[in-house]
Amino acid sequence: MPTRQYATFEVAGQLFGVEVEAVQEVLSFHEYTAVPLASPAVGGLFNLRGQVIAAVDLRVQLGLPRQSLDGPVMNVILRGDDEPVSLLVDRIGEVIDLDDSEFEPPPETLTGPTRELVVSTVKLEGRLMLAVDVAQAVDTGRMGY
Amino acid sequence: MDDLGDIIQEFLVESHENLDQLDRDLVSLEQETQSRDLVSRIFRTIHTIKGTSGFLAFTNLEAVTHAGESLLARLRDGTQPVTADTISTLLAMVDCVRALLSTIEETSTEGDISIDSVVAMVNRQMEQGEAAAAAPEAATEAAAAEAVAEPAPTEVTVEVTVAAETPAEVPAAEAAPARKRAPAKKRAPRKAATAEPEPVSLDASAPAAGPAPAKPPAAELDAPAPAAAEPAAGYEARRPVGELLVEQGAAQQSDVATALQRQIEGDERHLGTILLEEGKTNPAAVNDALQAQNKRSIADSAIRVDVDLLDALMNLVGELVLVRNQLMRSSSESRDPALSRTTQRLNLITSELQEGIMKTRMQPIDQIWSKLPRVVRDLSQACGKQVRLEMEGKETELDRSLLEAVKDPLTHLVRNAVDHGIETADERVANGKEPQGTLTLRAYHEGGHVTVEVADNGSGIDVDRVAQTGVDRGVVSQGQVSQMSPREIMMLVFQPGFSTAKQVTNVSGRGVGMDVVKTNIERIGGAVDVDSERGVGTTWRLSIPLTLAIIQALTVECAGERYVIPQVAVHELVYIDGKSTRIEYASDAPVYRLRGKLLPLVRLDQTLGLSGDNRDEGVYMVVLQADGRRFGMIVDRVLNTEEVVVKALNARFKDIGMYAGATILGDGKVALILDVASLARRSHLTSTTSERTRAAGTDESASAGKSAQRLLVTGVGERRVAIPLDTVTRLEEFERGRIEQAGSRQVVQYRDEILPLVRLADLLGAMADESGDTVPVVVYSERGRSAGLMVDKIVDIVEEATAVRKDLHEDGFAGTAVIQQRVTELLDVRRAILAADPNFYAETSDDEYLVEA
Repeated sequence: MPTRQYATFEVAGQLFGVEVEAVQEVLSFHEYTAVPLASPAVGGLFNLRGQVIAAVDLRVQLGLPRQSLDGPVMNVILRGDDEPVSLLVDRIGEVIDLDDSEFEPPPETLTGPTRELVVSTVKLEGRLMLAVDVAQAVDTGRMGY
Repeated sequence: MDDLGDIIQEFLVESHENLDQLDRDLVSLEQETQSRDLVSRIFRTIHTIKGTSGFLAFTNLEAVTHAGESLLARLRDGTQPVTADTISTLLAMVDCVRALLSTIEETSTEGDISIDSVVAMVNRQMEQGEAAAAAPEAATEAAAAEAVAEPAPTEVTVEVTVAAETPAEVPAAEAAPARKRAPAKKRAPRKAATAEPEPVSLDASAPAAGPAPAKPPAAELDAPAPAAAEPAAGYEARRPVGELLVEQGAAQQSDVATALQRQIEGDERHLGTILLEEGKTNPAAVNDALQAQNKRSIADSAIRVDVDLLDALMNLVGELVLVRNQLMRSSSESRDPALSRTTQRLNLITSELQEGIMKTRMQPIDQIWSKLPRVVRDLSQACGKQVRLEMEGKETELDRSLLEAVKDPLTHLVRNAVDHGIETADERVANGKEPQGTLTLRAYHEGGHVTVEVADNGSGIDVDRVAQTGVDRGVVSQGQVSQMSPREIMMLVFQPGFSTAKQVTNVSGRGVGMDVVKTNIERIGGAVDVDSERGVGTTWRLSIPLTLAIIQALTVECAGERYVIPQVAVHELVYIDGKSTRIEYASDAPVYRLRGKLLPLVRLDQTLGLSGDNRDEGVYMVVLQADGRRFGMIVDRVLNTEEVVVKALNARFKDIGMYAGATILGDGKVALILDVASLARRSHLTSTTSERTRAAGTDESASAGKSAQRLLVTGVGERRVAIPLDTVTRLEEFERGRIEQAGSRQVVQYRDEILPLVRLADLLGAMADESGDTVPVVVYSERGRSAGLMVDKIVDIVEEATAVRKDLHEDGFAGTAVIQQRVTELLDVRRAILAADPNFYAETSDDEYLVEA
């Protein structure tokens, strides 16, 4: 049975996951530079070892209010096409192995911004994980701002 | 076959470089027809190409170069004088070689490029030379002498070796001090280090072969080892002047030997001096010899490096600069002396490393200038003008990427100067100038950037004509022009739409207008300026950053965040204390009186959509210039200036258009670099609006900012009439006595023109208030025509987005709105203007100035 590894994280109590290959690293960072006039989904910019990285506020992408950037915030840094992009999340979870059989399409009752980000629902023990479409998640122009 | 491919490749690269040099040398030769040095160099280059092409079996190429070589040999031997025709022929030959090389590069064969005409041309030149009178005796003599000294150009290298082995005449005593001096060339340690022992000892004869008596500064003459102290020394084994003179046929071997003998006997004069004073040679020859002596061999001192590698190194240095900045910051907070010393050291090394790496990417501007003598020559011949091209600061270096970006704009400016700037010889003479015009290219460093000037001593820019053209092309209106300074009018040439297609083909032939020059230069963070005096000349000035990767920047703070402004855009900083320096408001548009002129202000926090406290004191104004417009930007604090490394911003932020990039500040935090030109645009300070802004001059000026939604509210009798502010050029107060009657209409003399007036009260059927001595007039201009609307008073400028009720239509009005709790009629400007001047729109039929109801 083929398995896939997923890196999991939590936003607003919901567990999400992205394929582990897409993740460059995970780290907590506390100094963000706001980008005025940018899409609200852009949390800010930060300095990752000399590289300027844009942090995308996953809460906004899910249709929630903005993440507070006053204290340290967890970043899931994804390998982008040309440069890394970070997703701001609440908490980091484990890396888990998943069988193909554990994936199901998102429920039809799931609507709104979240639906656009989610590609499938994964039945874990005791809770559900939503597998996120990485390209959609970092697309800050998607909400039509 | 692969090997051969490599050889061809190398041959092509080398030949292309040589061809550029050839162009330059040939053009120089036209100026200095007597320079044997140039002829010899040209000869050698052609000879090399000929030799290799023979080896590679490119027969046509060989035939062309052979013909060229024969002609050159005659020039070199002095059997034929250098004339403009000769040069043209040789240039044509070079072009033919270039075409052949390009074909070889593309197809690996010579293709079917015809060489017959060029060969015929060359032969014709030689026949003419034959027919011409015999060369002067002196020349033949010199040629004979040279024939001995320089049997064949290919053997020159052999002679160098010989020279290196024959410092026999130099006494050991003199050689020794020279050896000691050699390591002292600290300026060029690398070069000194690679210098062979022989060349150094050769240098020993250099003091003997001193510089020409008149030309070099006295200091150099007095220096103990003038030759060794010259920066160019050490590139190559330097050949004694005496030997060079003999080789040139400008002195006899025996005379040189005698002179050397005298030096050994204690004559302290330089060899050249001795020979000159005894009449054994001529000053020009000594000069040539000294120049030849300073020639360096590029092959020995340069290597080819992959540009990608340099870029990678540049990036790493950028990182290092950031780390250095961060470390400096933390070490200044700590009290550890050892750490602070180490940091200081790191600081120094980083700066030097950065400088060094940046230098590797730097190339002298001569790289792009080198093509210009040919351009100037060809174009001036085509225009029938005489132009002398002078270059100052060839060695000024620029980042290679910038150099590439500057090439086309610069070429355009040069072509433009020859075509339009410099007059024909007849015109020049008629104006009391020398027939030959001078075009000067000047490059120099100036405060973190390089200034490149293209200056001609031609006719200068005709401001009136520019203004007229600007009006004709709809770039500005007549009214605006009358308000502009000559300098501002000159800047109009940079406006898009100023040059027409016809002009472009005439001037540049490359489809580049002045606006494109400006855009291209601004794209790389530079600026363009022009200065001109009628009849005296024009100077175009390009100001170019040294490099794109690291810029000098001003860090400011606004709404708690720091922003970085490229220093090149910053003109001055003013602290607004609210008393001696204060912000004023024209309606609600902030302005500042900067040396008597109103400067529109932009609040950075507002522009960026941040919540600021809109303070009017205790803030700073940064005077910025972009797109040729000045404006002030209000920020909370000015922090410092420093070098920052520009990081490209992710594409997702490109659409915002406000940021030129990001950088990492000393404390490691990211800061955005503001794009000043976009900022100006975003604040509606672009040329057209700003033009109007300037034209309006007074209070209304700055409020034109968001004129699209702004209304000028006037009072007419008891009624209120609103006029869209963007149709208003100026507000005037005229004395009633000045208003005259012309036929059935009222007019006033205004700026040497007759301004037709209409009384809005009449149009409206309202009772006019005739009480005051003066009457306020709203001046409206379009396409060089103006008309005035007389009102009773100017009430206010408002910016309310009001719901216009269209149904209350009345003649002359476009609608009605509620503004400041009062019903206000929106004027149909077009109708009102027509009432003042029925012919106002005679040539224009667009409705765009109608108020949108």
